[in-house]
Order: sequence, then structure tokens, then C-alpha cells
Amino acid sequence: MMGIYIFIFFAYLFGPLIIMSITAFNSAEFPSITPWECFSFRWFNEGKIAYDGQHLAGLLSDWRLHDGIISSLIIGAGVVTLSVPIGMAAAIVLTQVRSQLRDIYYSISIMPVLFPGVIIGISTVVLWDRIAGLGGEGFIADIGRNGIFLTILAQTCFISTYCFLIFVARLQRFDQTQEEAALDLGASQTQVFFKILVPYLSPAIASAAVIAFLFSFENYNTTVFSILSDQTLTTVIASKVRLGISPALSALALTIIALTIIAAVTYEVLRRRAEKRYAESEEKFVKEKAADNRINKKYKAGFRIPKGITAILLIVVFATYGATQIVKNDLYGQSCIDTADKKKKSKFLEQLQTLESNELTDEELSGGSLGGNQDYGDIFGDPSLFQDFGGFD
Amino acid sequence: MNNFLFTQPFFKKNGKAVAIYFLVAIIFWFVFLVIIPQFYMLDLSFRTNVPPLARGGPEDYYTFEHYSHFIFGSKTATDAFNFVDLGVFGRTIFVSMLVTIANLLFCYPIAFYIAKIANPSTARLLIVSLIIPFWINELLRSFALRILFANEGVINNFLTGVGILDQGILFITYDIGLYTGLIYAYILLMMFPLYNAIESLDINQIEAAKDLGSSSFRTHWRIVIPHAKPGIVSGCTMVFMLTVGALATPVVLSSPNTLWFPQLIYQWFNMNDNWSRGSAYSIILLIVSVIFVLTMMRIFKVRIGEIIK
Repeated sequence: MMGIYIFIFFAYLFGPLIIMSITAFNSAEFPSITPWECFSFRWFNEGKIAYDGQHLAGLLSDWRLHDGIISSLIIGAGVVTLSVPIGMAAAIVLTQVRSQLRDIYYSISIMPVLFPGVIIGISTVVLWDRIAGLGGEGFIADIGRNGIFLTILAQTCFISTYCFLIFVARLQRFDQTQEEAALDLGASQTQVFFKILVPYLSPAIASAAVIAFLFSFENYNTTVFSILSDQTLTTVIASKVRLGISPALSALALTIIALTIIAAVTYEVLRRRAEKRYAESEEKFVKEKAADNRINKKYKAGFRIPKGITAILLIVVFATYGATQIVKNDLYGQSCIDTADKKKKSKFLEQLQTLESNELTDEELSGGSLGGNQDYGDIFGDPSLFQDFGGFD
Repeated sequence: MNNFLFTQPFFKKNGKAVAIYFLVAIIFWFVFLVIIPQFYMLDLSFRTNVPPLARGGPEDYYTFEHYSHFIFGSKTATDAFNFVDLGVFGRTIFVSMLVTIANLLFCYPIAFYIAKIANPSTARLLIVSLIIPFWINELLRSFALRILFANEGVINNFLTGVGILDQGILFITYDIGLYTGLIYAYILLMMFPLYNAIESLDINQIEAAKDLGSSSFRTHWRIVIPHAKPGIVSGCTMVFMLTVGALATPVVLSSPNTLWFPQLIYQWFNMNDNWSRGSAYSIILLIVSVIFVLTMMRIFKVRIGEIIK
């Protein structure tokens, strides 16, 4: 009973992502599975010119996406350099504030994550627009209207809180006697900070930097306001989704999923290795101390086949089988795509002829049966629509 | 000042250079990034919407017009109340509450299973697989649901292809896609506080209850849930706040006929260029969020420090 529920729950979590990943390999213009055209990598590469002349960019040929990724990286770096020191300072000071004030101090520190993201973006923009207006022409006016600068500030506002929480958790286990020992041995206060506290906090610094970067990289709610006329990865994705859904986005998502899994596995392996090293050093310490030799006896571990290998083997077998089937049935390669395109083109021409014979107006054509989707009726009311549009270049 | 604010003299304790760094960092954060922007936005929400050049001129005065627009509609409107905006607002809050409750109901069994029933290696595997989907951008996760729920999407194609339905269901038009997406979006933020809270419960308490003849339901109601209360409050608060303030998921999944409240703010702000009104609506959203947090704290008697850990 419980097993079934867990299965359904995880199917709900992973199902959409898996289906999206599969659609990235379908050569059809609309991300789908059931009318499966051809197995292809075109959405990772150059995309295609659709049969009605529209250019659907793939990942490698989409310069708008590349610009967005670059500015997202710049913003991420800026946010990390600001929010990690801020979070560290705030967390250390928390240990020194009088206990009566500690609750208030803590509440102010965690307030930014309770604010809705849109509000942080808006308040930053309105304030800096005002500052830029007061500053006249010059440097202040320039940075006050610079989307990347504003986004760094707005994201730092709440990402600092996440860093703060990471540092607080680490500081709770800090042994104050280390500081006292250093002071007794004649270290200055500044030396204590750099030689004792910072090395102790270094794991927290690393994880705070990673968390800050990831939160910054995937933030949309705040960024969409504070970025002004620039673009980041998330705003590019949002304008693409509003315009209509293309398999290139599935390809992008699959790339991100793959990177995530690689990063997660690497992190897990590194963590286990560090734990093992720590355990070994502990063990060595115990052995050196132990007078009883019984503990020093070595137990030789027998060779074991890792459990994961069956899963990997199964995947390899299925992948090979699937690949041979795809090639055999001519579902992969140029010839398959050509036939599919030809079929669609003739269908498209047929539709065009019937439409022309019916003498429909232009408006009916654009919203009609030519693949126009009624869901997107509202986007034509959006004046910024064609500014974001990267279709016909 | 030192004795008033700190346990030990601040500059002496940290050394001059480090103390200055602490003060600069904290004041920069609290004052310039948190407090001043919020107060400026509050100020702007009470001002008329004028072009930048007319600021400080005669047309730039304090007014309640943006707040009254939210409640009563524009001056030329015939309706007594602004049913459109109030409707969007009410629906956003109501749906967010339902989403929060749904998340709690979905997550509780899983959290209990991972924390108390599963063996450690299974639990670890389940936790890692819970985290992985949430490292993927919220927009792309919603996009994955959009592929499923679109009118010619995977589900409709499957249902019509197999022959269960003649015509696809309009998931997007009826906002079924949106609700599913909102539940999907922040489920992890319910799962982890719940898991942490249940995990700290001593398993002996559950067994003692069982030995004394308590039914499984009664054990949960009387032992596990009271113990997990801080986690439940924390999860509910986070999910509700994020759902009310969600913009990415509604942008991808909401039907063109309905708006989510942050989308309304976005419209005033970016499409209609009325920053004052956008600010006023943001303040309304902020007030609702604050009231929600305070109510949760009051009802369940938890401190704010327990909500976010």
C-alpha cells in the first residue's frame, strides 16, 4: 500500500521530467511523443527551418540563449561575492548580540526570504530609478539603470539570508575554547579571525557559495523585474515559453538535468571520500592509543561486485537494443527527416490551398488551423512580445 | 552602545579591521538592500503615477487612489467594486491555501516513511531523488507539465489515441495544469521541514503508543503530529508564501483568461507602466503574507525562528 503510494509520488515528481527529456529527441516541431517523427539531435544543434518558413533555433544556434547564460553567470558571480561575506558577517555577529536583542536581529535577518520575490525585485527597481533620477547624468544614473547591477543587488538581498542560515548552522558547533586558546597564546583578535574562525568556516563558505550561485542562476521572480531591458537565462526561457513551446526547451532542460545529476554524483562521491578519510584518521588515532592489540588486527575485505552494476548493464543492453531498432526502422538520420518534412509540406500546401479557396482573412489565418494554438491568444496583447521575439532572424 | 547591543565590547572583541567589515556588511544589507527599498516602495504606492520629469512637481502628491482602485475600481467604472482585481486576489489566496493543504497531505506519509520506516540506505536514496528534480529551474519544471497538459500535449494525444476520449480535455483552459504545477513547484519545501520534525521523534514513543493499544490513526494524531507541529507550520508557511508570490509557474501554465496576483502586479508594472499602482498591489501582497505568517505563529504558538531553519 505504502509502496504504491511512494511509487505514484515519485512518478509525479519524475514523470514530467522524463517525458520532457524524451521529447527533446523527437524531430517534430511541437514537443510530443505520440506522433513520433524521427529520432534526432537537431534540437541540441542547429534547430530547423520549419515547413512554414519559421526558424526554430536549436541550442547551439540560439545566440539569445547564449547571451542570457553569460549575463546569468556574471550575475551569479556578483551575487556570490556579495552575499557570502554578508551572510558570514551577520552570522558571526549573531553570536555576539545580547540575548535580549537576538530574536529581533534574527527576525530581520530571515525576513527577506519571507518576502515574495516579486516585491524584492520591484522595490529595488523603484528605489534605484529614483536614485538614478536624482543623480543626473553620469555614473550613478548609469548603474541605477543597469539591469545586471540591479539584479545583483536584488538577489543579494534574499540570497544573503540563505548564506546566513548556513553559517549559523556551522557556528552552532563551534568550540569557543579554540579562540580562547589562541588569545592566551598571544594572537591578536584579527589573527584569531583569520587563523581560527575562517578556516573553521571554510566548508560553510564553500557550500554557501554553491547555494548562492544556484539560487541566483535559477531565480525568475525577482530577476524579471530588476533585469530591465537585459536578459538572463530565465527571462529568455520565459519569453520563449510564452511565445509557444518548442522542443529546443526540452533539449535545454535535458542538458540542465544531466549537468545536475553529474554535479550531484560528484558531490556525493567527494563527500563520501572525505568522510572515509576522516573515519580512517579517527581509526588510526584510536589504534595508536589502544594498548590492546586486538583492535589492530586487519580484516581483509572480500571482493564484492557493486550492486549498481546490474542497473548499468541493463541500461546498456536496453540502449543498444533501442538504437539498433531505431536504425533498422529508419527512424534516425537525414532520410527520415526528409520524408517527414515532405509529408508535412504537402499537407501544409493542401491546407493553404483549401484556405485560399475559402478566401479567409489574414486574422483567421494566423489563429486558424495552421498550428496556431488558441492558448496563446493573450500574448498578442503584450507590447513587449516582438521585442523578445527571436524567430525570423 | 557596546554594552547595550553586544555581550562584549564589539571592536575589542573582533579587532578593528574585522569589526569594520562586519558593520559595513550588515548595515549595507539591512539598510540598503532590505529596509530602504521597502520603505521607498511604500512611499511610492501612495503617490500619483507621474512621468520621471514631473516628480516633485504639482502633480506629484500623496493619494490613496491606487488602493481605492484595487477595491472600488477606476472612477469611471459602473460596478460598485473592482470585481476583476478582487476576484484575482481572492482566487490567488484561496487556491494557495488549497495548494498548501494538498502539499501537506501528499507529503506527510512520505516524510513519515522516510523518517521512521525506511532503512537508512533507502532513506538516503529517497532523499537524494527528492532533491534532484528541484535543482531544475522552476520554469523548466512547469514547461515539462505544459508538454503534458497542452491541448495537443502528451496526455491528450494518449487519451484520444487509445480511444478513451473523442476530444482532448482543455487542461490549460480550466487551469488544471496551473494547479498541478503549483503543487509540483514547492512540494520539497513542505517535505523537508516535515521530515526533519518527524525524524527527531523518538521511535519508542510510537511503539509505546502501539503497545498500549492505540490505533495507527490515533498514534499519528496524538503522538506524531503534535511532535511535528513546528515542521508542519514551517512547511505550510513556506509553501503558502511561495505559492502566493509565484510568477514563473503561472506565466507558463495559467490559461489566458485568468491571472495570478503577481501576474497582475507584473502587468501594472511592465505593460501599463504604472509603477505606483504596481507598488500598491505589491504592498497588498506583502501585507497578506505578513498576516498569514503572524496568524500561523499565533495559532500554533511557534516562534519565527522555528519557521525558518
